[in-house]
Amino acid sequence: MKRRSFLKLLAVLPTTALTAGLHEVQAGLFRSPVRTNHLRPPGAVAEEVFVGKCIRCGRCVESCPYHCIDLLDIRHGVHAGTPLIAVADIPCYLCMRCVEVCPTGTLQPVAQEATRMGTAVINKFTCGAWLGLALCRTCYDACPFKEKAIVLRELMPIVIREACTGCGLCTHACPITAPDQTKAINIEPPTKGAAA
Amino acid sequence: MAQTRRDFLKMTAALSAASFVGVQLPLQEQQLAHAKDAEAWHRGTCRLCGVGCRLELGMKDGVPFALRGVADARTNYGFLCMKGMHFWQCLGHKERLKKPLYRAKKSDPFKEISWDKALDIAASQFADAVKKNGPNSVAYYGSGQCLTEETYLFQKIMRGGLQTNNVDGNPRLCMASAVGGYLGSFGADEPIGSYADLEKAHCFFIIGSNTAEAHPVLFRRIMRRKLDNPEVKVINADPRVSQTSRIADKHLQFKPGTDLSLLNAMANVIIEEKLHDQAFLTNYVAFKQGKEGQDASFEEYAKFVAPYTPEAAAKTCGGKITAEDIRQVARWFATSKGTMSLWCMGINQRKQGVWANNLIHNLHILTGQLLKEGADSFSLTGQPNACGGVREAGGLCHILPGHRPVEKEKMRNQVEEAWGVPLGRIPAEPGMHTMSMFTGINEGKIKAIWINCTSPAQSLPNCNLYNKGLATDDCFTICTDIFKTRTTEFANLILPAAFHFEKTGVYGCTERRQQLTRKAVKAPGEAKPEVWIAREWAKRLAAKLNDPVIAQCIKPFEGLEEDFALPQAIWDEYTQKLTKGRDNDLRGVSYAVLARMADGVQWPAPTEEFALTGGTAKKFVKGIDPMADSESKNDLPYQFYGPAHEDRKLWIWLRPQADPSEIPDAEYPFYLSTGRIIDHWHTMSMTGRIPELLRANPHAFVEINPKDAEKLGIKPGDMIEITSRRGTNVLPAKVYEGPIEGTVFAYWHDQEANRMINKVTKDDYDPSAKEPEFKICAVKIKRISGPKPLTPFIVS
Repeated sequence: MKRRSFLKLLAVLPTTALTAGLHEVQAGLFRSPVRTNHLRPPGAVAEEVFVGKCIRCGRCVESCPYHCIDLLDIRHGVHAGTPLIAVADIPCYLCMRCVEVCPTGTLQPVAQEATRMGTAVINKFTCGAWLGLALCRTCYDACPFKEKAIVLRELMPIVIREACTGCGLCTHACPITAPDQTKAINIEPPTKGAAA
Repeated sequence: MAQTRRDFLKMTAALSAASFVGVQLPLQEQQLAHAKDAEAWHRGTCRLCGVGCRLELGMKDGVPFALRGVADARTNYGFLCMKGMHFWQCLGHKERLKKPLYRAKKSDPFKEISWDKALDIAASQFADAVKKNGPNSVAYYGSGQCLTEETYLFQKIMRGGLQTNNVDGNPRLCMASAVGGYLGSFGADEPIGSYADLEKAHCFFIIGSNTAEAHPVLFRRIMRRKLDNPEVKVINADPRVSQTSRIADKHLQFKPGTDLSLLNAMANVIIEEKLHDQAFLTNYVAFKQGKEGQDASFEEYAKFVAPYTPEAAAKTCGGKITAEDIRQVARWFATSKGTMSLWCMGINQRKQGVWANNLIHNLHILTGQLLKEGADSFSLTGQPNACGGVREAGGLCHILPGHRPVEKEKMRNQVEEAWGVPLGRIPAEPGMHTMSMFTGINEGKIKAIWINCTSPAQSLPNCNLYNKGLATDDCFTICTDIFKTRTTEFANLILPAAFHFEKTGVYGCTERRQQLTRKAVKAPGEAKPEVWIAREWAKRLAAKLNDPVIAQCIKPFEGLEEDFALPQAIWDEYTQKLTKGRDNDLRGVSYAVLARMADGVQWPAPTEEFALTGGTAKKFVKGIDPMADSESKNDLPYQFYGPAHEDRKLWIWLRPQADPSEIPDAEYPFYLSTGRIIDHWHTMSMTGRIPELLRANPHAFVEINPKDAEKLGIKPGDMIEITSRRGTNVLPAKVYEGPIEGTVFAYWHDQEANRMINKVTKDDYDPSAKEPEFKICAVKIKRISGPKPLTPFIVS
C-alpha cells in the first residue's frame, strides 16, 4: 500500500465512523451471516431465532464428515460460534449427521428430501447452457434429486423450487464462475421466518 | 476515482471485446482478460469423442487460453460440450510428461533419460524379443485417438518391418462389432449416410446409445429436429431410462441382452403387416444364414422370424414392453419418410455384438430405409479417429490399410508392392486381437509391447486379470502418452508424446469425414510427435536387426521435419498408394485440400476436384458417390461395390436371440452395465486434470433403481459394494429411476483402485468381432455404510 493511500484511509475511517454513526457498527454486529451461497445446516430453525437457540457447542461442525460446516469467528458479532455452510466451497451432502447431534433442537430432525437450506437459482445471464455456449448440464447431473429438483427442458436446466433442498451440490459443481465469484447457479437462503 | 478518459475507453473496448469473444469461453475473469487480446485462433477438430466437432484454439502470446466452436461447422454448428471446451488446459499442463522415463524393473523408480537412450532401449528390447522368440512375441496396441498417420506408420513398421500382424487397438473394445456388422450386412465398413441425415429423418431409432451423454453435440441436433418437428418420432430402446429417453415418444425398456428378440419381433411385424419394400428386396438383397453364410430366401426369413411374435418378444424382453408397443414401433420404423437408426456401445460391446448389428441393418434393408434422405443405419463411433485411423489405415490385427483383409494374398501383395518390401513379407495369419494379446502377456507369449495413447490397465474388462501379466517383468512395456495413467504404472519405458494441436495430422470421424489439425503450440519439454518416435525407433530397429527391409519401411520419411513434412509424407503415401480403388478412396484428399476445406472431406473422394466439393455424403448412390458411378455394373441407381460382398448385394441375416455370457442367478442377482459420463473422457487422464470437469464429477457412482434400493435399504449417497465373480468395487449410490429393476449402472472413468468398474466387468467376447461384453455381467450388491466423503484420484 502506498503511503498516500494509507494516509487517505486514516482520514476516511474516522469520518465514516462519525457520519454513519454507531447505528451501522451495531447493525454489523447483529447482521445475519446468511446470504447467497452461505447457509445454515439442514433442519435449522428460522434465522431470527437461530442465534438465540444455538449454544455454539460446535458438535455439528465436528460431526460433519465432509467438513462443510464452518464455525463463524469473532468478526460475525453475535453470530460468532454459530455454524454456516459455504456451499460454493464445500456443499452439504445431506448425510444428516449434524441434525442428529444438535443438543438444542436448533437443527431439527428432518428428512433428506424435506430439507430446505435455501433454493437454487440459475443466473441465465452467465449460465453456459442458457447462453447457448456449451452443452452443459453439470448442475442437473450433480443434483441428488435429479429429475425432481432440477430438470432439463431443451437441454436447459430448470430448478423446481418445491423440491430443491438447497444443498448446494449444483453450485459447487458449476464450472462457471463470474467475476464477482458467484456461480451460474446459486443458493438463495430461505425467506424471512422460514425454517431451513 | 482517478480514471482517465483513456482508461475508460480502454475498459469499454476490453469489455465489449470480452463479451464478443468471451461468449465462447468459460466465464472466468482471468480468461476474459486474455480474450480481449486474443492474437490467433487455430482451426482443428475436437480431441475427444467421435462426433468430430470443428473448433478453434485461441492463443495469446503463444499460450493457449480457450477453445470455441465454429458456427458454420457442418458437424457441430458451433456447439461444444464442456469437455470439448476445456481440453486446451491439457496443453502445457504442469503434470505433462516432458522427458522419457525408464526403469529396468517394474518395481524400480523411474529415472529420466535422454531420447537417444530411450529409443535405443526400445529398439533393443523389441529386437531381442524378435531374435529370441520370433516376430509374434512383440505387439503394438494403439488407439482410436492416435492420428491416422501415427497408426499407419506403426502398423507399417510392425507388419512390413518386424513381420508380425500383432497390431491392434482399443477400437477393438468399442467398434469391432460395428465393423463386423457393416461388412456382414453391407459388404463395406462404415455408415452409408452422414450427420446431415439427422435433419431430414422422420423417425429415429436409438438403441444401445445414451447419445445425450456420450455424443452430446449430436444429441442436440436430434433434439432440435424433434422439437422443431413434433411429428418426428423418436424411439429409444434401452434397459435404462437415460437422458436420451427424455425426448423419446416411446421408450422400450427391456431386460439386458434381450434386444435381439426385440429386433426380430420388429421384423416379424413388418413382414406380417406387409410393410417391407418388395422392389428394394428384389433388386438389391440376398438372404444369408448360419456361420458360413449359406443362401436363404425371403420365405425362409419370414419363417425364421415367425416365432418372434410381438407377444413372445414382449415376454422375453421382460417388464415394461407390451406387444402393442413393438407393433407400434415397427410401424413407425417402416412407414416413416426416412428412418435413422443410431447405436453405440450398448449394441457393440456384447457377446452377440455382430448379430445385434446385423439385426438393426436387417430392419433397414427390409424396409428400404437406406440410401434415401434421412434414412440410414448409422453406428456412432466413440473415439475421434477410430474410423479414420484404426479401421481404415490398418490398425486392427486382421486388416491392412484401405480395408484390406490380411488373409487375402492379393491384398497383402498390393500393400507389399506399395511399400517396396519383398512379396510375402507380411504374414498371412491375422495377428493377436486385443483380448488374445493381453492373454498372451499373461501367458508370457508377448515379450515386448508398445502401448500408444491408451490405458488398457483401466479400460480392459476384468482388468485385474490382465494387469497381473502387465505387472510382471516378463513383458517389456513401452507407453507413449501425455500424462501418467494406470497403464504407465506398469511401464518400463514412458515416452512423452505431443498432444493435439502440438502436432499435425488427420482425424476421421463417424461420418467418414477427414479433418486436419495443424500444429499450433510447441509441445512441453522434450515431448515429441509419435510419428517422429516411430521413425527414429524403426531406424534403430533396422540397425539392431540388421534388416534393410525395416529401413525400407521408413526410407520415404527419412530426414523430414516432424511437425508437418513428416505427417504429410505419411498421409500421402497412405492415401495415394493404398486407397486407390478401395472403398475409402482418399486420393483427392491431400493436405492442401484439407487445408482449404475447413469442414474436411468425406470419402470416397478419388479426385481433388471432387474432394473440394466436400466429398461423398451418401455412399453407393449414383450421382452422389463417384465410386457408385465408376464401379457401376448395371443401370440400377444404387451400386454396392463394397469389397466383402462379391454378389454386390445387401445381406439380410437370419440371426436368433442369444443370451449374454453371464446371466444373474441366486448368488449374483443383478445385471451390471457401464457407460460414459458427459464430463469425462474414458479413463479420465485428461479430463480429470481439468478442475472444472473434475469438480463436476469428482468420482464415479452407481445408479440403482429406487425399488431395488428400497429392498436393500439403500439411501442416496450410501456406499455400496458391487461384487462379481471377478472383482469388487465400492461406490456411492445414486438412487434414480434410470436402470430397469434388477440392473445397476456404473460409470467407468474413475481411476481410484476401488472405483475402477472394469475390475468387475466380464471379459468374454464376441466370437467373430472379438469385442468384449463390457455391457452385461452379473453382480451382487450390498450396502456397506452411509455416505462417506470421497476424494478424487488421479494417478501421479
